[in-house]
Amino acid sequence: MFRLNALKNVSRQSQIIAKRTYAEVATSDVLKLSLALPHETLFSSATVTQVNVPGANGDFGILANHVPIVEQLRPGIVQITESSGNVKEFFVSGGFATVQPGSTLSITAVEAFEPTAFSPESIKSQLAEAQKNVSSSDEAVAAKAAIQVEVLEALQAIAK
Amino acid sequence: MFSRLGNNAARSAALQSRNYATLRDIETRLKSIKNIEKITNTMKIVASTRLSKAERAKNTARTYIANDREVYSHAETAPIETEEKSNLLIVVSSDKGLCGSIHSQIAKAARNRINELNGQKVDVIAIGDKVKTQINRTHSENLVLAFNGIGKETPTFTDAALISDEILKQGKEYSNVEVFYNKFVSGVSFEPTANPIFDAASIEQSPALSQYELDQDAKVPATLAEYSLANAIYSALADGYASEVSARRNAMDNASKNAGDMITKYSILYNRTRQAVITNELVDIITGASSLD
Repeated sequence: MFRLNALKNVSRQSQIIAKRTYAEVATSDVLKLSLALPHETLFSSATVTQVNVPGANGDFGILANHVPIVEQLRPGIVQITESSGNVKEFFVSGGFATVQPGSTLSITAVEAFEPTAFSPESIKSQLAEAQKNVSSSDEAVAAKAAIQVEVLEALQAIAK
Repeated sequence: MFSRLGNNAARSAALQSRNYATLRDIETRLKSIKNIEKITNTMKIVASTRLSKAERAKNTARTYIANDREVYSHAETAPIETEEKSNLLIVVSSDKGLCGSIHSQIAKAARNRINELNGQKVDVIAIGDKVKTQINRTHSENLVLAFNGIGKETPTFTDAALISDEILKQGKEYSNVEVFYNKFVSGVSFEPTANPIFDAASIEQSPALSQYELDQDAKVPATLAEYSLANAIYSALADGYASEVSARRNAMDNASKNAGDMITKYSILYNRTRQAVITNELVDIITGASSLD
């Protein structure tokens, strides 16, 4: 009787192990995206197919099983292909994209808006203003303006 | 003997006049309690309406900071062990009172930590006037920087960025940085919590960082450290604000209830005293009238 019980236990355990390995395989084939802003959570561990991010060293695409990476973002478009095939775009002014071990991508950005939310006219006028200040003798003003120009130029390229 | 009689008469007259005065006293007291109740009730309503917004901010800030910190837990980042330790405690609270023990608890947690680090160099940065005065009372020599104007509205990332910018401008290096804030647990409770913040050097020396691809030449660890400092302060502000608003709501709820109790008590006392005065007067009149018969 004891032997029977023991056998049952063993078989149950092996079942659990089998289940576990199956689950692990299943999760590593998909990319989980979290896109978080301080005031809003756009994606929270959502399953997506592909994410293109504007890295400081150039744009790159992230698929499932990407090597873990910490990358600073420059102003540009984060393009998300959802598992349904829909493509969503967000303009970010900067932030960090981190691929964690286990195909989890966390993007933290200060702000993110859809490209259609911007008005080309106000970008133009603000860009002109910022370009004026770039050559300012005040270092702080010039540095601030240089960042503004970088963001606004990236914006101008995408807003139509 | 007669003189003693006169004394008695004077005393009874004084007693009577005091009796009238008490009635008026109770009346003014009752009025002021009613006004206080109105104020506390309004403050409670204001806090309740702010609470939902504050809680929403707290929730998004928590997701945000969780995403920010994930890399540190995977990379097993820890403060670097050095011979001479220097600590920085950033204590996050706010300017406004009338919200229960929220400020004193966070100050107490910070004070305990300072005592725990006895002998080591400890610098304290206070965010919010309330916690600044409390730290100043016992550990004024540790306080290096203080901010105010926090907690009027739901905190924004800009607030946190400005604060972290000022902190970085100090240009001091610490082997261990901790941020203290009131963690929102539920509508009725909060918990003083400390979170570590890592600097560029400790990120670079994380034991498991090698699994990440990371551009060391472009000073990514330094940028990440600065960004994380702002993020940690932001989430501490948001969490602390949510706890404060909910604590204020509870404190004002209790105050309104107590005021209500006092109003009932004083109304009864007022009516009783008034009745007693009327009865006394009647007795006087009737006695006077009957003596004429």
